[in-house]
Amino acid sequence: MTCNEEMIPDINPAIILREEFDDWAILFDPDSNTVFGINPIGVIIWKCIDGRRTMRDIMKMLHKDLDDVPEDAGTHLNEFIDDLVKRGLASYTNL
Amino acid sequence: MSLMKTPRSLDLEITSRCNLRCRYCSHFTSAGDVRDDLPKDKWLQFFQELNSCGVMTLTLQGGEPFCREDLKELIEGIVLNRMRFDILSNGTLITDDMASFLSSTGRCNGVQVSIDGSIPTTHDVFRGKGNFKRAINGIEILRKYNIPVPVRVTIHRQNVRDLDDIAALLLEEIGLPSFSTNSATFFGLCRKNTDQVQLTAEERSLAMKTLIRLSKKYDDRISATAGPLAEARDWLVMEQARKQGEGHMPGRGYLSGCPGPTSKLAVRADGVFVPCSQMSHIELGRINKDPLKEIWQNHHELKRLRERGNIPMSEFEFCKGCGYINYCTGNCPAVAYTITGDEYHPSPDACLRRFLSQGGVLPDEELSLENG
Repeated sequence: MTCNEEMIPDINPAIILREEFDDWAILFDPDSNTVFGINPIGVIIWKCIDGRRTMRDIMKMLHKDLDDVPEDAGTHLNEFIDDLVKRGLASYTNL
Repeated sequence: MSLMKTPRSLDLEITSRCNLRCRYCSHFTSAGDVRDDLPKDKWLQFFQELNSCGVMTLTLQGGEPFCREDLKELIEGIVLNRMRFDILSNGTLITDDMASFLSSTGRCNGVQVSIDGSIPTTHDVFRGKGNFKRAINGIEILRKYNIPVPVRVTIHRQNVRDLDDIAALLLEEIGLPSFSTNSATFFGLCRKNTDQVQLTAEERSLAMKTLIRLSKKYDDRISATAGPLAEARDWLVMEQARKQGEGHMPGRGYLSGCPGPTSKLAVRADGVFVPCSQMSHIELGRINKDPLKEIWQNHHELKRLRERGNIPMSEFEFCKGCGYINYCTGNCPAVAYTITGDEYHPSPDACLRRFLSQGGVLPDEELSLENG
């Protein structure tokens, strides 16, 4: 599954975001006992996912909050959220 | 060194009660042996804070956790607040109903059960008659429900010659993947019964030699972070460094044996935060009153413990003239405290020079180092 701009991601409510050192973090799934490391940008994206915002909305927020967002950021955002979905950490609500 | 924003895990003494009175119990008569257990609703309130702090795992201990009549409700609170859990137990109160419940949560990392003998005589001598059979039965029930059972063997004067048979029972007959070892240590009731339970230098030498051999025989399925097996491995490294005349070893020559609380914290049965279950005399605050994050990041006692590793061994009169001073770490601060009254002192129990002066003998070097 590859996402598009209208898709609305939502986090798996069982997942814990642990902000550990500096702005780095892990996502912990207590059911599977697995952890997934994310960088500071990943943390910002995770916090934007609320089950209401579309991918386009999230992209807009990144542009608003961050300087020097690269041109291919949309592709990276799609890949990141697809990865979260594959790992069971998030899902798309409007499929 | 960077510090995590909150601890990843906590050790919770959910009860001070126990159905046994093992003669080397680290809990009874320690500062953690408090009169009143915190009621269920206080723990459940605390679990909500742990959820918001991103705590991942709780280790339920005591006392004996299965003495709590409301244990299931506490565990439901842990699951509801997105955490996993382990339990430390003597294994004697485990029932089918409880094991089935633990399994159904999908969040139980395991139940550690203490087994100190291959036969009732060596297990029950300090744990009480009938408890070997009960503990083995507990292990069988847990395994029936696919709950991991990391068995812990505490070595003492009455089972030090039973280690071959204990390993055979646990690894061959029962078929556990592994087990861990330690030894009766100068905590709690052991302080009163030390002559009966704590290994002499000669027995410690025997335990080290036997465990190194068994660890090799069973492909490293026997582990230890303390006690004779851990000591044998550590002391052999120190002895080799001394013989080779190494000036310094990285991270050694200082009180670096314990980095202090860097990823976990503990709570006594009365709800008081402490750095570790074995240092329950250091009170850091109270749950549901003092925020965990604030204590973790800013409490002066924790900061001081985390800087313990900067204290050079050369500062101590106890270490003067020791040939191992540059290779030693001072080991466990909690043992140092119970023996000397000062956690900022090397642990005399872990002193290689003292062990050798008491007639202790290190195991064969080639065998030990070959075995990691």
